[in-house]
Amino acid sequence: MKSTEAGTGRSLSAGSRLQMAYRVFKGAFFFGRKGLVIWDSWEMWVMQIFITPIAQMGFFAFLSVYLRYPLSETQFIVIGNALQAMSFSAVFAVANITSQDKWQGTLPSTMVTPANRVALFIGRAWFQVLLSALIAAAGLLYAATIFGVSFANADYLGIAAVVMLTAIAMTTFGLLISAVGLYMRTALIVANVFLFVTLLLSGVNFPVSVLPGWLQPVSWAIPLTYGTEAVREAIAGTSLLGLLPLLGWEALDALLVMVAGYAVFAGFESLARRTGRFEEY
Amino acid sequence: MVTMDEVTPGKMTEGYLAKRVQVLKASAFLTSKLFFADPQWLIPNIIAPFIFTLVAFFLFQGQTSGPDFLLYLVLGSGLMGMWGTTIYASANSIGFDRWNGTMESTLAAPMPLSWIALGRVLFNTLQGVLTAVFILVIGLAWFRTGFAIVNPPAFLLASVATFLSLSFFGLLMTTVLLLSRKGGFITNSMEIPVYIATGTMFPVILLPIVYLPFSFLLAPTWGIDAIRLAALPGYVGLPTTYWEDIAIMVVETVAYMALAFFLFRRVEAYAKRIGTLEEY
Amino acid sequence: MQTLEVKPADGGPAKWAVSVTGLTREYVTRNFFGGASKKTWALSGVDFQVAPGELFGLIGPNGAGKTTTIKILTTLLTPTGGEAKVFGLDVKKDLYEIRRRIGIVFGGERGLYNRVSAVDNLRYFSDLYGVDPSVARKRIPELLEVVGLADRAGEKVEKYSRGMKQRLHIAKALVHDPELIFLDEPTIGLDPAGARDIRNMVTELKRQGKTILLTTHYMFEAEELCQRIAVISKGKIVALDTPSELKNLVRDVSVIELRTYGATNEYVEALKTLPEVGRVTADLDSEVQDIRIQTPLGADLLSKVVAALPPGAKMIDRTIKEPTLEDAYLRLVEE
Repeated sequence: MKSTEAGTGRSLSAGSRLQMAYRVFKGAFFFGRKGLVIWDSWEMWVMQIFITPIAQMGFFAFLSVYLRYPLSETQFIVIGNALQAMSFSAVFAVANITSQDKWQGTLPSTMVTPANRVALFIGRAWFQVLLSALIAAAGLLYAATIFGVSFANADYLGIAAVVMLTAIAMTTFGLLISAVGLYMRTALIVANVFLFVTLLLSGVNFPVSVLPGWLQPVSWAIPLTYGTEAVREAIAGTSLLGLLPLLGWEALDALLVMVAGYAVFAGFESLARRTGRFEEY
Repeated sequence: MVTMDEVTPGKMTEGYLAKRVQVLKASAFLTSKLFFADPQWLIPNIIAPFIFTLVAFFLFQGQTSGPDFLLYLVLGSGLMGMWGTTIYASANSIGFDRWNGTMESTLAAPMPLSWIALGRVLFNTLQGVLTAVFILVIGLAWFRTGFAIVNPPAFLLASVATFLSLSFFGLLMTTVLLLSRKGGFITNSMEIPVYIATGTMFPVILLPIVYLPFSFLLAPTWGIDAIRLAALPGYVGLPTTYWEDIAIMVVETVAYMALAFFLFRRVEAYAKRIGTLEEY
Repeated sequence: MQTLEVKPADGGPAKWAVSVTGLTREYVTRNFFGGASKKTWALSGVDFQVAPGELFGLIGPNGAGKTTTIKILTTLLTPTGGEAKVFGLDVKKDLYEIRRRIGIVFGGERGLYNRVSAVDNLRYFSDLYGVDPSVARKRIPELLEVVGLADRAGEKVEKYSRGMKQRLHIAKALVHDPELIFLDEPTIGLDPAGARDIRNMVTELKRQGKTILLTTHYMFEAEELCQRIAVISKGKIVALDTPSELKNLVRDVSVIELRTYGATNEYVEALKTLPEVGRVTADLDSEVQDIRIQTPLGADLLSKVVAALPPGAKMIDRTIKEPTLEDAYLRLVEE
């Protein structure tokens, strides 16, 4: 379908298309913050930034202490869980966007707008990217203060790069899941499962190499797997330059996920238009 | 065609207890019907504890082996499943009526809300038991381990007592949710902390001392210890004996029960004062 | 204001089914920090009585206090002041006794479990009300037949139409065989046929001797069903009488109904300036326009109305009518 200026029927130039996409993005950015009811309460912030990360880090750290693992293993677990803590905001909350659209019955009205879809959904997800990065940073702070992980040799620039890239990459994963969720009655189940699957598959609590061989490719499809490895290296002192190969793979992975998400979404939109149903899935 | 005049005249059930048992049964039955009409919420309740168990398994694998550890692990995950389901489902027991628009109809009934809620919570806890059994069976199959229990009757008693104690804890959680619209987040954020505090996967003795009072106030902490004492040979847990565990759990559960019924009265009085519970 | 004289069948002393004296209710809206920020009076001194077996209507604009009154009488809300009694029982003290003897029909979509069947809903509520299970087993299918849902009783309620849901609401209110039934806007959002079904049921319940307290937005409905009507406005009862007596309040006016072609807004404004013209309402949006003029002059005004028509406009039809309950109502709530 060709984009046309409303009312004139005239095709848009590339420049004004971009401008319009920007406007949609800007509008959606603020919607992303305001529209998500779950971020409306301060309790939710407390829970996501303090309670859940600390509790989860504590659970697995205590378990490793109980099993008499050496300190280095416990720290491995603590750092992994610190980064994984962002999954809720990056994956679950992002998937929640489409779910809420469906519940509130606003999906058709979103779908009938000529707004650029990519701009719309990425605009909504941006807030989650920032929040995810913040949560991971908070997790690393707990690792240093509560769980005694040493940051003496840490390369902070490297850590910042890993956290930011992982937040973006995991949010694209959230978008993919929300696109898949369009076909189902709710995306939240998938998102919920995914929230926990990363604990097992993404090198959060033990290296990927421990997993059965057939599972390992799945691990490397999830951006977080690169992130946990890279953040541990950065804390151990590897410079940003040294991290580049890992980060490059993570970026490539995120790009593939994004393309897949867009394809799924476009497919759904055309299916929904053919059948005239938006809300039954 | 029946006309209004031909409808059988109404007759009420007699007796204080009979009326309450009737409400309990009706509420539990409706909850089960609603659950089976839309069982998708079972998935997160099973997935989270099960993945926690798998992670624990990989961690256990590196350090130790033997059927006792596997049984310890599988029992722990079952208990996490039971906990998770109870907390989650209690959160939704009466909360469900709030967003379903049936809060007024429920409040208008000539029966205390606590009994209606208790019926729901009982079914939800039962669902928690099913979750636990499900996880147990999968766990046993996955790890290819047997299920030899040291003292089956004691195991059964401890399990039933833990079931009841979870139910009344769930009832208490329901009041929290009725009093605050954001109670859902409170119960959500409690999930992992209670897994830790009640010693589902590792003994609570490992925890920092400030955490212990919270641990000891949670009746299931004692229930889990009693269950492990009855199931695992040579298990060393809390410094209490099996019967001491059971006794402390009973006392704490009675306290939960009293507090829950008290809070329910307050909730109902509050609802009447403001005219609704739908908005909160 | 006139109160209805109650003549009990046995000649004994009159006992009210509902009796409300000086009823007040205040809402306090709390601000973020929990402090009281705003007080509003939803009811400021309401008095009325409903006789056993009477069909009593409560009408008024949104926010006038209808729902607050119903909530207090159904024991869902405590009054701030005054007294409300149902069968002589205090709504503040004898909750459960009152609840057992009343049925409530909430209007709108709310109040049912949509994911289960009609039978499941009725069984649940009959247990909640403590109906003897052996009696309930007979009563539930009979009630479903009465409300015309017997053949779809096993279906999930979410598949029901609005009208069917509302009929189920009525069955639900009747499971425990109450003596007094509250109907809060029972026909809201229904199509004409669905609304008629509900009105027929209400008439049938009345014939059976049930006491009914009904709120509605539709004046013709109140006029058709109710024996007495209380008009409530801004938390007070502004009139209470039989429908015909209420209409007498506007006896002094008649209504000229015009159907015109080409009438403009200026014309309507001009009509309002004519001597002795009361309310003028007009629908100017379509090809032909319907205009209603209240005036004590009746036919005498017609010539002036026709003379004022703008050039090119035509009078298609004109009638002079008796005022309706709606005219009386509008005058009452706008005073």
